[in-house]
Amino acid sequence: MMDYHFALKQVEEILQPFSSEVRRPQEHQIDFVMGAENLNAAVEALFLAQWGYLSAITCLDHPPVKDENGQESEGSLEVIYHFCRNAAVAGLRVSVPYSHPHVPTICNWIPSATLYERELMELFGVVVDDTPSTERLVTSDDWPEGVYPMRKTFSGFSQESR
Amino acid sequence: MESEIKTDNRFVVPIGPQHPALKEPGHFEFDVDGEVVTGASIRLGFVHRGIEKLAEQRNYIQDLYLFERICGICSHIHATAFAVAVEKLAGVVVPPRAQAIRTIVAELERIHSHMLWLGVAAHEGGFDTLFMYSWRDRETVMDLLETIAGNRVNYSANLIGGVKFDIDDSQRDAILRGIDFLDQRARYYLKVVESDETFLGRTRGVGKMTRGEAEILGAVGPTARASGVARDVRLEAPYIGYADYPVVLVLDDRGDLEARFSVRILELFESFRLIREILSRMPKGELSTRVPRRIPEGEIVLRVEAPRGELYYYVKSNGSEMPERVKVRTPSLCNWASVASLAVGHKLADMPMLLAGIDPCFSCNDRLVTLRRQDTAQTMTWEDLRQYGIQYYRGKRVCP
Amino acid sequence: MSAMEHERTVDVECPTVWQKALMALKTWARVNSPWVIHFNSGSCNGCDIEILATLTPRYDLERIGVKLQGSPRHADILICTGPVTRQARERLLRTYAQMPEPKFVVAVGSCGLSGGVFHGSYNIVGGIDEVLPVDAYIPGCPPRPEAIIYGVATLLESLKNKQEKG
Repeated sequence: MMDYHFALKQVEEILQPFSSEVRRPQEHQIDFVMGAENLNAAVEALFLAQWGYLSAITCLDHPPVKDENGQESEGSLEVIYHFCRNAAVAGLRVSVPYSHPHVPTICNWIPSATLYERELMELFGVVVDDTPSTERLVTSDDWPEGVYPMRKTFSGFSQESR
Repeated sequence: MESEIKTDNRFVVPIGPQHPALKEPGHFEFDVDGEVVTGASIRLGFVHRGIEKLAEQRNYIQDLYLFERICGICSHIHATAFAVAVEKLAGVVVPPRAQAIRTIVAELERIHSHMLWLGVAAHEGGFDTLFMYSWRDRETVMDLLETIAGNRVNYSANLIGGVKFDIDDSQRDAILRGIDFLDQRARYYLKVVESDETFLGRTRGVGKMTRGEAEILGAVGPTARASGVARDVRLEAPYIGYADYPVVLVLDDRGDLEARFSVRILELFESFRLIREILSRMPKGELSTRVPRRIPEGEIVLRVEAPRGELYYYVKSNGSEMPERVKVRTPSLCNWASVASLAVGHKLADMPMLLAGIDPCFSCNDRLVTLRRQDTAQTMTWEDLRQYGIQYYRGKRVCP
Repeated sequence: MSAMEHERTVDVECPTVWQKALMALKTWARVNSPWVIHFNSGSCNGCDIEILATLTPRYDLERIGVKLQGSPRHADILICTGPVTRQARERLLRTYAQMPEPKFVVAVGSCGLSGGVFHGSYNIVGGIDEVLPVDAYIPGCPPRPEAIIYGVATLLESLKNKQEKG
């Protein structure tokens, strides 16, 4: 509580070189927007500096939107890696397009991330390259391939297919 | 015949998803070499209910009740985390009396959860007397929760913007009496788990996790604190009433099952102390405040300390009545990973205790055995095994 | 010997006095000491801990002969909690199939009755009765231990009455 300003300043120094934009969504939070190619280096830097621990990996789905001219932008998936140290929360935000939804694994540095990565793959269809396990974690054994329930476009199965 | 069963390959013992007496269905597979476990893997999803998706289709008030039903044991803390996150996004300040009541219910819930765990873990260790004792005494705290909330399990104490009920003087006295009784009982349990020889045989030195391992494996809550990781969200990032009524960290650096037992029991004392302190100086005032139906755009990460450890909520609002995205990461998910790696090198008989040590529970093998040989996987159902057994003993002429 | 085999050996054209007496004896035994198995098909644990609470000293179901069983092979009553998830559906059916006849199903809790708050989710099939024939429903979120005892007792009472009429 007391020194989260200090922790935020620290993490900003560590991650500044890897990020293209720094945001402050809440007083105790700081977000770093970065490309997928920088993710591993950023996690490594956090790990070596022993700054905090991985709290969770969240994914956001941004489906394609149409602008005034009827031009459709490409949908994207935004993966957020939240690291915490006391009250400070640092988010590493990586956006990947639908056409190439690849992010690198961070299990080399944080082995416990495997569960979150399995969840990402199943629920959002993010491809995590080189992740140690790709087995199903939460969806059922008879789950159809290529159906990702947490995408905004998914609205449930029809009654018959249940 | 016997030689057919003996192979030098993996022998997999599946545990779950259905277990007698106990709760969460999860599926574990342990590779064993004789009695010793050589590998473990997890399969969840038996209780995957798609709550995060459902939350996007409902409004904030409906979601509050939905999140309360993520877990029946720590229902209050889920609803609290969600309510606090939404309140912060909406920028409202909750009256201090409401925060104090939330804290009291949260601590009563912690007591109920730890006592539940103590019983279940003792049962896994074959110590059913302790199971019955702790569950009998747990009824005291269930009664208290029922007295103040009207329901034994899903108390539904929270509103977005406050709490639903007040704690009056007679309820306060009832809580204090109940806590005095539990305090006395908890002292007895502490003595039992730290001095009972047969029980120590199952816990001392079993499932040892060093501080470094706990940090790497991402363990949280009492499991991590029993390994000396000083991590408690109530202290690090105080929420609801914990800034006004600070808790004292309970730490143990032994890292084995015994430490996990004593950390949880010592946390009971901390909860008793905290509840007494809050009740002795309850702030006066309103119970709730108005919160708009539409929550302004924003996002927040909110962490709270559930009985099992750090609970993580991510809420993203888009200015409408429904959240854009809610992500929940429960403490058990973090601790699963620690079991999978702790299991290696221990005896199969220690598995129930190890699993119970992090708080989810397993006790019995599924009725299906898979023998994996070099080239073929042979599955024997219970019926096949029974027939096999009958044939085997007929051959030996042990029984007619 | 399993109950199923037992049935087979007794099954001849018309029941004699002895067989009728044996049937009555079996119903008597079943009603007075039902063995139950508990299956969680996607519940939040709320109902499960209340079921477990019925076995502990305050309520102590064992004093009236009810025993919680680990194996479906030995059980008379299947107590189900929670909505049925896609993943648990097969396991629930398998557990039910493994139980010897006659078998009874009790659905505990709002979710077991209809899916409850989880109704409409992609991973939920529905209440227990979408999958299995349910003999007794115990509503509540979660039902109190008293309600669970009452539900099981009502089921047993109806068995007794059926036997007397039949």
